[in-house]
Amino acid sequence: MKNQSTFTPKKSLRALGYVAFLMMTILAFNPVYGQSKTTLQNERTIKGVISNDDGPLESASIVLKGTKIGTSSNSKGEFIFPKPLKTGDVLLISYLGYETVEMKIKADTGFIRLRLSEDLLEFVGALNSDKPYKSKRSNK
Amino acid sequence: MRYLFLFIFAFQSNAQISDFGTVNFNEADKIALEYKNEKLNNLPELAYKLTANLDTDVERFRAIFMWVCGNIANDYRLFHKNMRKRQRYRDDSLKLKKWNDHFSKIVFKKLLKKNKTLCTGYAYLIKKLSVLANIDCEIVHGFARSSTTNVDRLDTPNHSWNAVKLNSKWYLCDPTWASGIPNLATSKFEFHYNNGFFLSNPKLFAVNHYPADKKWMLLLDEDKPSFKAFIEAPIIYGKAYTNLSVHKEPKKMHNIIQKNESIVFEFQLIKPVEAKDISLLIDNGKSSKKVHPELTSIKNKSLTVEYKFERMGFYDVHFLIGKDLISTYTFRVKG
Repeated sequence: MKNQSTFTPKKSLRALGYVAFLMMTILAFNPVYGQSKTTLQNERTIKGVISNDDGPLESASIVLKGTKIGTSSNSKGEFIFPKPLKTGDVLLISYLGYETVEMKIKADTGFIRLRLSEDLLEFVGALNSDKPYKSKRSNK
Repeated sequence: MRYLFLFIFAFQSNAQISDFGTVNFNEADKIALEYKNEKLNNLPELAYKLTANLDTDVERFRAIFMWVCGNIANDYRLFHKNMRKRQRYRDDSLKLKKWNDHFSKIVFKKLLKKNKTLCTGYAYLIKKLSVLANIDCEIVHGFARSSTTNVDRLDTPNHSWNAVKLNSKWYLCDPTWASGIPNLATSKFEFHYNNGFFLSNPKLFAVNHYPADKKWMLLLDEDKPSFKAFIEAPIIYGKAYTNLSVHKEPKKMHNIIQKNESIVFEFQLIKPVEAKDISLLIDNGKSSKKVHPELTSIKNKSLTVEYKFERMGFYDVHFLIGKDLISTYTFRVKG
């Protein structure tokens, strides 16, 4: 009881002051600490699996937009992105003949499951030629 | 407001390579060469490599265009196979669709493994790579005429090319025809870049390209030819694109005239020529002779040539500038 009576509001304020000073000192002398911790929390390894209508898609390319950093999917359609990614990064996922998908990494993205849809095209082609035109003539 | 619209449209109608007269494409062309032999298994990476070190959209597009034209071969076997099947299934939409789906898989496989394709494949790659480089680009489907396409029997689109938006203006180009042509002796494809099909003059382009959607002519309404006029137009060759900016006269491929009647050829030129460089190769079916036309006038790159046939007959007439074959017409000369 006696001890409690000696613990006056004035003393507790002083103690709080010491703690605050200590914390401020730590933060002041190690300013990067807080920042890098949040970045580390954001950056993570992204994995995923790419498929088409027939099943897993091998050799689909996964590239970080605006760079040439990337990887491609294995025979099971799986990939592990080689660089840790943070929220807001954009991946370009593509395969020749399929629509390219832009995928934004969201706060809760960790695993990507994506089915690519085919680019619908009707293929045609006309030849150009330097062969001089020749009229068809009936033999008179 | 209406005038502003008219102005924008009139401005639009002249979209061509001369708009970029001050731009030097050396750097873009060098980058396209540097990445020769790249494969198509990673288009985002290829687009990045081709464009990341260039400053303007027109240079970025140039690098993409040059890369595609210099690395993708035209597969004539694929072309002929497709034409035969499309002809066979032309009245059976179900079978045609089935063929298209099947064919599209074959085409992409061939493109991926061998860097070979046909027109739509070229246009597809140009579009994909451009969009990855944040350049607005479209595939244009339509009709195309050359000396070897059966022009009288065109009833469905037979060709694809591109429209690209640079500095808020649309431009036309034909990557397939820019990349090369068949060797005249072997009929095999040969890379032979023709810069005339890069950001071409829409007026010249319309002589042998007719888009299924007419807005892609990029011409004022009054300048848009009818489909009939397109089918009846003369044959122009690849070299027309490196010599002419506009083909004006004669407007028709097949002409009937009187003996001693003057026929007039009128073109707008890209570069000045001399009268001695102009010749006509006239073929009467048995033999051909080269003549220098009687009257040639060249003023401000505007070329007018006149010629008179003195004898009746039926003639194929080829127009040449130097050794370049520009265009072909036929004349039935009556007495």
